[in-house]
Amino acid sequence: MSSRRSRISEEEINELISKLQSLLPETRRRGPGRVSAAKLLQETCNYIRSLSKEVDDLSDRLSALMETMDNNSAEAEIVRSLLRS
Amino acid sequence: MQVPNSFKLALLKQMLLGFQLSAVSSNSMSFHERKNAIKLSADAAMVFARGSTRWTRGLVASLSKNRNNEDLLRGILGKKYERLSLPCCNSWKIPRSRKILKRCLGLCSRRKKATGTQHDVKSSSTLARRLVKKRIQVLKKLLPGGESMEGFSLLDQTLDYAVSLKAQVDVMRRLLKISKASNLNLHLKEEEEEEEEHAQRH
Repeated sequence: MSSRRSRISEEEINELISKLQSLLPETRRRGPGRVSAAKLLQETCNYIRSLSKEVDDLSDRLSALMETMDNNSAEAEIVRSLLRS
Repeated sequence: MQVPNSFKLALLKQMLLGFQLSAVSSNSMSFHERKNAIKLSADAAMVFARGSTRWTRGLVASLSKNRNNEDLLRGILGKKYERLSLPCCNSWKIPRSRKILKRCLGLCSRRKKATGTQHDVKSSSTLARRLVKKRIQVLKKLLPGGESMEGFSLLDQTLDYAVSLKAQVDVMRRLLKISKASNLNLHLKEEEEEEEEHAQRH
């Protein structure tokens, strides 16, 4: 018998589900009522996908910006001072 | 749910370190090389800030598949790189928790005696379960390391990952804003100086 098997309580699961619900922008608007499992999972997948897309998009824009910056710019100074601290 | 400021600060710091290590502001990179360096820096920085958990290990594993990434990963993660690459002990299955999870999500089929409407009841809950199963498969592909997770762990790690991703986005947005502003400032300064020089000569 494995003594390391911890029992996850129903309370913990409900708490997790409600945290997810309040995180996701779509389900948050609906207030405290419970959404269906399928809906919750769908919104979660959509949310993760949209965040990943945004990271990709921001990388594009940062890349374009960095192209026009040169090493001696004030920005590099900001970066350097941030790294020193 | 939000991450502490220390998380965002650590993320920013390591990401900027990554930029420096891969020399993103040099002119010798193509657009795509630069973009990939930026993205890799952002992901490695996120892993650094979060520390050891299943999705960060999963992310390190998938980023390491490309041998070109190794130097930058080591540069940003330092000692953590080795630690996060070690095979993790396989988490013991918790079959009971999966059942509880399913019950809480309203998925367990009710055992009804055969009646005229039983067919309808059965098909709608079966449909719901199938749909949920499908969506769980999708989620597993989206979450780094998700293929080996189930039930409670899967959802818990998903929440953790989503919160960290949001922080990564916030930090990058802010960096973009600051960089644009200082870039604009710099160009304005340069224009001013040029105008002054021009004025002095005449």
